[in-house]
Amino acid sequence: MTTGFQRCGEFALALLLLLLCAAFRRTLEADPVTHMLVQLPALAWAGWLFAGVASVRRPRLEAAPTNAGGGAGLLIVFFGIVFWMLPRSIDGALTSPEIEAAKFLTVPFLVGAPLRLSWYRAHPILRGFLLSNALSMLGVLAWLYMAAPIRVCNSYLVEDQQRLGLAFLLVALSLAAIWGGRLFFKPDGGSAGDLLPDLKANGSTSYDT
Amino acid sequence: MSMTSTAAPSPQTGAVKVAMLISGAVFVLMMLVGVLMRAAQGDLLDLDPALFYQLMTAHGAGMVGTAGLSGAAIMWYFLGRHVALTRWVFHIFLALFLLGVVLILGAIFLGGFGAGWTFLFPLPAISGGAWDLGAAAAFLLGLVSIGVAFLLFYLEAGRAMISAYGGLGNALGWPLAFGGSTENAPPPTIIAAATVTVFNTLGIVVGAAVLVVSLINLYLPEFAVDALLAKNMIFFFGHVFINASIYMAVIAVYEVVPEYTGRPWKSSRIFALAWASTLLFVMAVYPHHLLQDLVMPGWMLIMGQVISYLSGIPLLAVTAFSLIVYLKGSDIRWDLAAGLLVLGVAGWSVGSVPAIMDGMISVNKVMHNTQWVPGHFHIYLLLGEVAMAFGFMAWLVRGDVAQSRFTTLDRLGIWVYIAGAGGFTLMFLISGALSVPRRWAVHMEDWLTQDRIATGFAVLAVLGALIFVLRFVGGLGRSSKA
Ligand code: HEM
Repeated sequence: MTTGFQRCGEFALALLLLLLCAAFRRTLEADPVTHMLVQLPALAWAGWLFAGVASVRRPRLEAAPTNAGGGAGLLIVFFGIVFWMLPRSIDGALTSPEIEAAKFLTVPFLVGAPLRLSWYRAHPILRGFLLSNALSMLGVLAWLYMAAPIRVCNSYLVEDQQRLGLAFLLVALSLAAIWGGRLFFKPDGGSAGDLLPDLKANGSTSYDT
Repeated sequence: MSMTSTAAPSPQTGAVKVAMLISGAVFVLMMLVGVLMRAAQGDLLDLDPALFYQLMTAHGAGMVGTAGLSGAAIMWYFLGRHVALTRWVFHIFLALFLLGVVLILGAIFLGGFGAGWTFLFPLPAISGGAWDLGAAAAFLLGLVSIGVAFLLFYLEAGRAMISAYGGLGNALGWPLAFGGSTENAPPPTIIAAATVTVFNTLGIVVGAAVLVVSLINLYLPEFAVDALLAKNMIFFFGHVFINASIYMAVIAVYEVVPEYTGRPWKSSRIFALAWASTLLFVMAVYPHHLLQDLVMPGWMLIMGQVISYLSGIPLLAVTAFSLIVYLKGSDIRWDLAAGLLVLGVAGWSVGSVPAIMDGMISVNKVMHNTQWVPGHFHIYLLLGEVAMAFGFMAWLVRGDVAQSRFTTLDRLGIWVYIAGAGGFTLMFLISGALSVPRRWAVHMEDWLTQDRIATGFAVLAVLGALIFVLRFVGGLGRSSKA
């Protein structure tokens, strides 16, 4: 059970993340590696935390029948991620204040928040599939960025893009180690990002049935 | 659709029988394809080389896939005795598997794809006009579909084992292996299934990545693929996948043999240690497929050789040795199932000898790309994995152990199969030792004798296999394990 104190902490952390992302906008966005792999995930994390706090206050949010099995929410997340994966969108965020503002709104609230509201409702096999798929597709992205014969962003150099590719690979390897490691040693999972929380031997389930 | 898991463990007999029926039929069909290839090499048959390579691709992909399917069905069946599995996952697994088969068959026989099951870059993309990109893409997509099928299979197996044993570490038997704690030690089936689940999931994730990369490269060749990296990824995936099929099938030995000997197969500390070493080594050993790629880092090739000794051997030794101990002094009543399962362990053991020889750099320099290679892997597949699968099939429809009989037809089947498969694989080894290259559609005059003798043996092996499959089909109606 999250305590009120914890909730305040999470809310504060989410605000802080948003503020930091905005305050260090120029620095973070100067390099595609920090733009894609620090700022965007931090924004999504802020949204995740907001949704967590909100759903404690309004439990109905998390139990919305429209989001049975997490399907609807995960689709929103999917399209949100797809949009922000396009080099064109990233270029836009750098040159147009409107698109930049949209990024600060949509990444927390169309990626992070729906992910938090849907993840635990999704069937464990769907979750496992998405995580495994994320790993192999991060590997593919790494290759795409390193092998691309053209510059994909107007705002970043080819060398930057290749560094980003390498960074994707490192992220894939680290995530594989972290996620895999948890399965070995922490069967009951922590609070955030549990891999397969439905681990009670008596067959009781936390996901939607 | 009900999304809940079954409450109490119970094997999913019906679906597993379907999977084994498909496996048995495809095994026999692909063996016939093998006979055609061998006969063509022996100039007994006039086969257009383009068709030979299509058949070789179908045979390779079909056999590896079916070895995986039959191994998976065995693992699913016996895992179901110990943990509660979600049944619909196996149905999705079968459906995706069959979708993959359709795509692959279409790619080969409608599209003319013939680049071999290993789809090594850049052959699928550069066919010299033998097939178009669509065929290559269909083949790769077929493999993706089969990969996803297995991913879902292992995710569910992993979930159920983690749920029942509290973490993969426990299911792998690590407290037993490294701490000697026998408290709550998992049975052999769980240790084996958990090990395969871990390494094959990793293999599939790597395989999916290289498949998608190859697919993109087909249509956008400007996105260059590093050929050496692709080869490493493909062989990591391929090596791990085909090994997994044997490691899954051996579960049938652990579960069924005790019914005959009356002595349960126990998880000893040495057993758990052997599986723990397999987990590590099966993934580290794949560079022994790349010993001729001189641009590989030297340490990887040396690792490939050294680990070839370590990989599989501890497990094989522990399994074969325990089997002998369990069999010795027990007044076992042989029947088809028992005979084939024991044969499987024997074939697996024998096949590993020429395999390890080929894993030595100095030998590999000469033997790589000769028929020595199909020689060794046909031993532990044909006489190992496939024998275990046939043994499991015989057991599935056997009924009560007390009523089970070892009919003359059964005995005939086993001996014909052993003689056929043994002679056939021996001829591969002999040809290899004489430096006959593998994967050649047309053979030189001097090689034809071995090819022809091998074809004769191959026909015998198919006959034996046919007997096993027909016995299974005949037994389906009256089996007690409903
Ligand atoms: C009677 C049974 C069989 C016959 C007659 C047969 C025949 C053949 C022949 C002639 C080749 C090509 C050899 C060459 O490269 O020159 C081959 C390759 C191969 N076989 Fe078999 N085979 C049989 C059973 C099996 C089984 C049971 C498996 C696996 C479970 C298997 C897996 C393979 C694989 C993976 C290849 C390699 C294909 C490639 O080089 O791309 N075979 N087989």
